[in-house]
Amino acid sequence: MIIKFKLNGKEIVKDVPVHKRALDFLRDDLGVLSIKEGCGEGECGACTILVDGKNIHSCLMLAVELDGKEVLTVEGLKDKTIQNAFVEAGAIQCGFCTPGFIISTKALLNENKNPSSEEIKEALEGNLCRCTGYLKIEEAVKLAVKMYNKGSDKK
Amino acid sequence: MIKNYFRPKTIDELSELKLKTKGYLFSGGTDLFVKLRAGTIDTDTVIDTKYLNSRKIEITGNKLFIPINATYSELRMFIKQNNVNNMLENIVKTIGSPMIRNRGTPVGNISNASPAGDFVLASYLFNAQVIIEPTSRKLPVKNFIKGPGKIDLRENEFVYGIELEILNDYKFYFEKVGRRNAMIISIASLGLLLKEKDNKIKDIRIAFGSVAPYILRDENLEKSLIGETINEELFKHIAIEYQKLSSPITDVRATKEYRKSLVHNLVIKAYNNLFEKVVKE
Ligand SMILES: Cc1cc2nc3c(=O)[nH]c(=O)nc-3n(C[C@H](O)[C@H](O)[C@H](O)COP(=O)(O)OP(=O)(O)OC[C@H]3O[C@@H](n4cnc5c(N)ncnc54)[C@H](O)[C@@H]3O)c2cc1C
Ligand code: FES
Ligand code: FES
Repeated sequence: MIIKFKLNGKEIVKDVPVHKRALDFLRDDLGVLSIKEGCGEGECGACTILVDGKNIHSCLMLAVELDGKEVLTVEGLKDKTIQNAFVEAGAIQCGFCTPGFIISTKALLNENKNPSSEEIKEALEGNLCRCTGYLKIEEAVKLAVKMYNKGSDKK
Repeated sequence: MIKNYFRPKTIDELSELKLKTKGYLFSGGTDLFVKLRAGTIDTDTVIDTKYLNSRKIEITGNKLFIPINATYSELRMFIKQNNVNNMLENIVKTIGSPMIRNRGTPVGNISNASPAGDFVLASYLFNAQVIIEPTSRKLPVKNFIKGPGKIDLRENEFVYGIELEILNDYKFYFEKVGRRNAMIISIASLGLLLKEKDNKIKDIRIAFGSVAPYILRDENLEKSLIGETINEELFKHIAIEYQKLSSPITDVRATKEYRKSLVHNLVIKAYNNLFEKVVKE
């Protein structure tokens, strides 16, 4: 089936087999390497992508469902604030989970410019990390919020 | 392996496709794709319901209508904006994770008919009616769900929506006991709605998830409680009655003895929380 969608701002038109998952299509056919397969069943969040502004699992989605949508992955983030905050807060060890966390953080900050600890925890509860521990990740999100607020003070 | 994928736009088109292909419907796919991967469902045809022209989430009279394809995130937003059935928020926010709530749907949850389904439990508590098309049948959720994974649906039919009662001035308690904070598939859950007048019960609804092959709710027992004075004795009585009614199983998540004691303790905990006593763990 031929689908047409936007990936990181670029228009894509492709013929995809109907059985293919969005995860495999984006990663294997289009080379979007930030998204990973951890569990393949909605538990770990390593495959998280932003579709029309909402974070979802690409492992539980068919590629044909991308038709007509706007998809954002870490590759398409022009503003690097969240990434920088993760690096600065030491919220990365092996990095396998990091793109998923960054996309979920992006989804959160799109809707809530000043999240509480509680709200950060809820927003990231679907992303698992087996190395870093969640404290540093939460700190990274708070740091990103601080960096954004500083940025807007200057303007 | 999936060979055919359809996107019907009308009720008739969807119904004909389901009848003709015997394919599986899906909206969020958060149950279906997990089962396809695990091999517990095998089909070569899936029918994506998200292109159907349908009604939106709306309030009609004293009912809250939740259509096919409405996600948990959309429902949550609607409840907040319209200040209606706010108690549902406590249940919905425990379902899966943000990603699951952005895709998963209440209609998918009741169609999946798991005794651990959190929206199944919510539907029991709010005396939900299930609306079925193209026949325009409407039936109470407790009749729609016939057993674990079993629903009353003919081959040409599908669930079009769920209608919940709108309840005001109820006290509400919900707790899900599970192994982890997010993505709990619960060991046991309790939802309790209570309306009181002069410290006496005016209406009470109690439902348990995962402690029987179906959602456990006993309307006769509930009726017998109307008019009773609210105190610890009464809730001890309720706890013991429901413990008797529960018929849990042992599985990898918990033993049946543990689940039975949970039934009891959850009722007592609900009482302590609702009536502001010190919570005994
Ligand atoms: C990681 C993870 C965590 C989860 N956590 C929870 C949780 O905390 N609580 C909980 O209750 N559930 C949970 N679930 C299960 C699931 O997310 C929910 O049951 C969800 O509501 C299903 O909705 P859906 O739209 O994704 O269903 P789908 O997968 O699209 O459909 C579910 C089933 O219903 C059938 N169906 C779909 N639409 C219709 C229709 N209109 N008419 C008739 N049949 C239909 C499908 O063929 C399928 O068999 C979880 C799942 C995952 C993967
Ligand atoms: S790979 Fe999708 S959630 Fe784990
Ligand atoms: S940094 Fe290794 S899994 Fe999170």
